[in-house]
Amino acid sequence: MIQTIQLMPGVQLRCFPAERFKQGCLSFQFLRPMAREEAAMNALIPAVLLRGTEKRPDLRSITLHLDDLYGASVGALVRRIGDYQTIGLHCSFIEDRFALSGDQVLAPMVGFLEELLLNPLLENGVFFNHFVQSEKRNLIATIESERNDKRAYAAAQMLKKMCAADSFGIPRLGEVEQVEAIDAPTLWAHYRKILRESPVEIFYVGTGKPEKLAQWLRPIFEKIHRQPVFLPEQSPFRDGGGGDHVQTMEITQAKLVMGFVTPITNRDSRFAAMQVLNTLFGAGMTSKLFMNVREKMSLCYSIGSGYYGSKGIMTVSAGIDAEKESVVRSEILAQLDACRAGDITAEELRSAKEAILSGLRGVHDSPGSIEGYETTAAIGGLPLTVDDYRRAVEAVTSEDVMAAAASVTLHTTYFLKGIDA
Amino acid sequence: MTEMNYPRLGEKLYRRVLPNGLTVLVAPRPGFTRKMAYFVTDFGSIHRKFQLEGEEFTVPAGIAHYLEHKMFDLPGRDVTAELAELGANVNAFTSYDMTAYYFSCTEHFEQSLKLLLEFVSTPYFTEESVDKERGIIDQEIGMNLDAPDSVIFEQLMEGMYQKHDIRTPILGTTETIRQITPKNLHLCHRAFYTPGNMVLCVVGDVNPDRVAAMAEEILGQEQRPVAKKCPISAENLTCPIAEQSRKMEVAMPTFQLGFKCRPIGTGPDAVRQEVIGDLAAEALFGESSPLYLRLYEDGLIDQSFGGGFETVDGCAMLTCGGDSHNPRAVRDAILAQAAVIAADGVEEAAFRRMVRSALGRRIRDLDSFDSTCFRLCAYYFSKFDYFDFPAVYETVTTGEIRDFLKEVVQRERCSLSVIEPLV
Repeated sequence: MIQTIQLMPGVQLRCFPAERFKQGCLSFQFLRPMAREEAAMNALIPAVLLRGTEKRPDLRSITLHLDDLYGASVGALVRRIGDYQTIGLHCSFIEDRFALSGDQVLAPMVGFLEELLLNPLLENGVFFNHFVQSEKRNLIATIESERNDKRAYAAAQMLKKMCAADSFGIPRLGEVEQVEAIDAPTLWAHYRKILRESPVEIFYVGTGKPEKLAQWLRPIFEKIHRQPVFLPEQSPFRDGGGGDHVQTMEITQAKLVMGFVTPITNRDSRFAAMQVLNTLFGAGMTSKLFMNVREKMSLCYSIGSGYYGSKGIMTVSAGIDAEKESVVRSEILAQLDACRAGDITAEELRSAKEAILSGLRGVHDSPGSIEGYETTAAIGGLPLTVDDYRRAVEAVTSEDVMAAAASVTLHTTYFLKGIDA
Repeated sequence: MTEMNYPRLGEKLYRRVLPNGLTVLVAPRPGFTRKMAYFVTDFGSIHRKFQLEGEEFTVPAGIAHYLEHKMFDLPGRDVTAELAELGANVNAFTSYDMTAYYFSCTEHFEQSLKLLLEFVSTPYFTEESVDKERGIIDQEIGMNLDAPDSVIFEQLMEGMYQKHDIRTPILGTTETIRQITPKNLHLCHRAFYTPGNMVLCVVGDVNPDRVAAMAEEILGQEQRPVAKKCPISAENLTCPIAEQSRKMEVAMPTFQLGFKCRPIGTGPDAVRQEVIGDLAAEALFGESSPLYLRLYEDGLIDQSFGGGFETVDGCAMLTCGGDSHNPRAVRDAILAQAAVIAADGVEEAAFRRMVRSALGRRIRDLDSFDSTCFRLCAYYFSKFDYFDFPAVYETVTTGEIRDFLKEVVQRERCSLSVIEPLV
């Protein structure tokens, strides 16, 4: 089970000892408020850190070092967890026992992380300008290329409209104009502030001893004069936007996205019931939406719902023929009405619960999913261990699901269609 | 079952060929909760011409994928719902050269496995259900027409191949799927879904003998004839179209570049060729190559850039791609760098480091149930034991890499597929 060690105030190390994997996993996350004025800067920082250090001043020397560490990977981490934006680095590497005898991987990885975090390549006392400019271009390209995936694009547009007054409407990577405005001195000052003030969550899965890790990691933070500033707790959805929106693009298939709100968040005792409702209604191949809109009516190939527990938002998205919009929309609402009315079979309830339970039972089967679940729960305010969560799901009745469905109301719709449609 | 051990990887593999011809592979994962089963047939979208019991057939493009959709129907039963009640998450995919049905679960493994074996071995198609599926697949085709990644790859295949069926999209087209009927679906099932043409692979904490016994019980003892795929005619290694571009709703230009290679066949030599292709890709434009750094520094490529060596029955290619404001400059730089490697060779120490890195990544990948199951099946059809990969990596030489790049990375072997933004 997880062992939590506070390295110093505001710096938590959580270790999940595991012998059965071939790789270890280590993540560093700095917690920031999700805010318009800094989202783009935060998103840019990990990419700049990964460009070069004093000792390894270019990409090639970094990748060669990772090759030496048996193909270890270090990636930029930028997550949205409720009201927070977390940024940092995520590493995976083989366990020492698979290296040639005598070779170590974990210890040098920690050393390399320190190098990336504390000794980036500088120019005139701030980030190396060429790295900042080239990563700005990359970040802009990444933000703009969201358009390429029409489903993700439509979902993001809907959330922007729905969450005009909530941090959830701020794009995870910020906006293009904000990226354009960044320069090396400002970014460096912001990074110094993050190092000094931001709460830090470190997560490790593997065979290394937690005490050993703490002993390696603590000095990294002792080198910074930390003055931690703690963040406000996660907050529920703040209403502001809404409405019905239509946009056209040169595309073949239209996308309909509907946003719903519920007072039930992951801090609520009805959370498990809300998860079961979401699964039964729209997630997976036996959901009401899949079985009716797709299988019975052949109106789409992809349809599904998602529930953002940190905010109490449920979304439905479907790729459809533009002419069929009103049929699809009313069928989606009719299926939700069926849930509210308790038109739920024992099989539907069992399948929905099993799907969630099966996912939960498997959480501890890969380093990535352990890291994902545990850090998101710790940071996002989900007060349930995997086992508590399982028990809560097992206890959900169809009445609980009906009540959860009754709490859900339609808030915003967004329809993306072809120019000729 | 025969037990094989791979101490270096900390792996074991149980293997048995049943009297009905089915090969069963089980990779145990003691201490894990998840269990995953793949039931795969050596039949994909390119296998459109075949002989069965002396007669020759040609089936419509997209039929393998259509069949995959329709296999989930059983008379009066809903298999997906039955599996969902067991907590098993079931799905399937069709590629150019195989069709896979798989589930993952944490409990009720044997019941779930029984269902998987039953529904994949039981063809049941009615005029009505086949017609109804067309609306769904039409929407899937529509979705792909809007997806730059699939459009760009399909355009590349048209540029690289003259005859090979890889030119046709896996899903077929709205026109070709209108020629699909219960009759030709039955024919494809009879031709390719016989145990002798299939493999069952399980990864998880299960009893290997039970898996084999269940497969024997449900699929029967009888060996049935397998269709003979018509041989794929050899193609000229020159690409018919050097460069193609089309406009789509994308943010910035994006490209795929392909170099046509000799098809590699099956068996250990083929796998060696594949590893050579992979390592050559690393040496030429991998993240630690000098070229990658230069292109990245010059802003010609970004993190979206990647590539490798790909094989499908009857074709092989070195590909790379990503977003770029100047795809032609990337192509020219790759051609120039290959010429440098062809002349100067690959440095031994750098190469050993690359091999160590590639091996490390492969070993880490074994933690993934999905990837391990998939690779065990894919390599089985290539007649190679996947867990033998370390020995192959360690014996490849720098000379082989140089010779490969010298032969393959040539202008006439190359085709460029670009998608440009509308405005």
